[in-house]
Amino acid sequence: MGNGTWRISRARGRAHLPLAVVGALAVIVILFGKAQSTLFDRARTGLVDWMRPALVATRAPIETMDRWLGSIGSVFWLYQENLRLKEENARLKQWHNTAQVLNERLKRYQLLLNAVPDPALSSVVARVIGRSNHPFLSTMIIDAGKANGVKPGQAVVDQRGMIGRVYLTGEHTSWVILLTDLNSRIPVSIEPNTDQAIMTGDNSPMPLIETLARGVELKADAQVVTSGDGDILPAGLPIGVIVKEGGHYRVALFADQTTAQDVEIVDFKHKPEYPPAVIKQELPVTAAGLAPAATAPLNDRNQVVKPPPPVYVPPGQKPATPVAPAATPAQPAANADPGDQ
Amino acid sequence: MERLGGFGNGKLMASIIPVLFGLLGVVLTNLPFSVLSGIVPAPMYALMPIYYWCLVRPDLMSPVWAFLIGIAHDMISGEPPGIWAAAFVATYAVIDKQRDAFAGLSGFGAILGFATAALVTCASHYVIYCFYRWQFLPVTNEIKEFAVTSILYIPVVVVLASVHRRFVGPLRSEF
Repeated sequence: MGNGTWRISRARGRAHLPLAVVGALAVIVILFGKAQSTLFDRARTGLVDWMRPALVATRAPIETMDRWLGSIGSVFWLYQENLRLKEENARLKQWHNTAQVLNERLKRYQLLLNAVPDPALSSVVARVIGRSNHPFLSTMIIDAGKANGVKPGQAVVDQRGMIGRVYLTGEHTSWVILLTDLNSRIPVSIEPNTDQAIMTGDNSPMPLIETLARGVELKADAQVVTSGDGDILPAGLPIGVIVKEGGHYRVALFADQTTAQDVEIVDFKHKPEYPPAVIKQELPVTAAGLAPAATAPLNDRNQVVKPPPPVYVPPGQKPATPVAPAATPAQPAANADPGDQ
Repeated sequence: MERLGGFGNGKLMASIIPVLFGLLGVVLTNLPFSVLSGIVPAPMYALMPIYYWCLVRPDLMSPVWAFLIGIAHDMISGEPPGIWAAAFVATYAVIDKQRDAFAGLSGFGAILGFATAALVTCASHYVIYCFYRWQFLPVTNEIKEFAVTSILYIPVVVVLASVHRRFVGPLRSEF
């Protein structure tokens, strides 16, 4: 840069004090941000809401350029691509018919079994207007926020599968944490045995499978879907397939997070089904066939409580009673093998 | 040679150009555009004007501006607040201390000088982030970001030098 149009500043000493002050300020901001993240989150969403028109305006030409650059290579194998798509289309038509038949059959079975209907899902379609691809961060900004009914925690999917979930919502924009991000942890289920695990992002293109039960061997290409555990996300959203890498399992994602432009935010309205609270009649004492300690009315909570199940008593023995503890220790001695003495 | 820096409004414009370019770099880094389909992280465009004007016009690119550009980067990128700001300030401190050495470089050496600054930024960012999360993080993406930023500095510095010559101008007499 020795272009000769400038001279080096000799007044460096004056910059040292502000430099130290600013350095200290940066450290304070980091510490304060860790303690009070919501304050910065609000500022962040406000800033992005304010910048939304600019981001939307710049999106169109950049997307066009992106597509144009991406299509340069595909021109050379257009014929092969066309053949491949025709073949894929024919196969998909077959699968479509099969899926329709199976769907009808499933509905009939659900009707016959009086099954609980699937949870209600509604969705909002949004556009990606910002994308963060930094060393330790994989997020995107979408142009739908609280005004559109978007809430933190909702799943974000594209036409192929899940991309991530909303973690911050502004009035008209939302931040999506991608499945590949370091902070992403999703409870998943791996078909066909519905093995439960946690999928963790590590900023590589393929997230890791963690906390898998010991001894479980997964097959390559086994499908990974959301498990719905913890009522965070709806169950059954397609995520990807298993890939074995060294001693670890990773997930090759269906969705292309880097090129997704239009996404769907799934609103999960399923009411969680909690087990009823324990009442005295259900305590182990009652379950074992013993009399409950207190005689609470059985229908005090409008519940139908079944009587304790009948206990099998071998012939020649008396049924156990609640007042037997004194006699119990004598029984083993009476039944002891004489050879032990 | 008359420059914009010599006039009232022009002086104001000249003084805000370095900061505007820094903020423009922040926006460019966070645009919904995936360089090489997301294989590499977005380059640190904001570092380029900070480095350039920290060398040639430290009066217009002060540590405070480097800090504020870093805060803007943190806000838009979604990273924890202060991380990029601290990394930029650390880089500024190194450039400020070694300004004579950096400013004396030309041609390929100038690119290496920027690469050194980018390395300091990436290393600072990595260390601060590791402390922040209290765990060792993968370093691959940081290396990729360093590489892509260093390479892209070559075309960007041409633009920065042109803007500097046309609109900002050399150091004023008080320096």
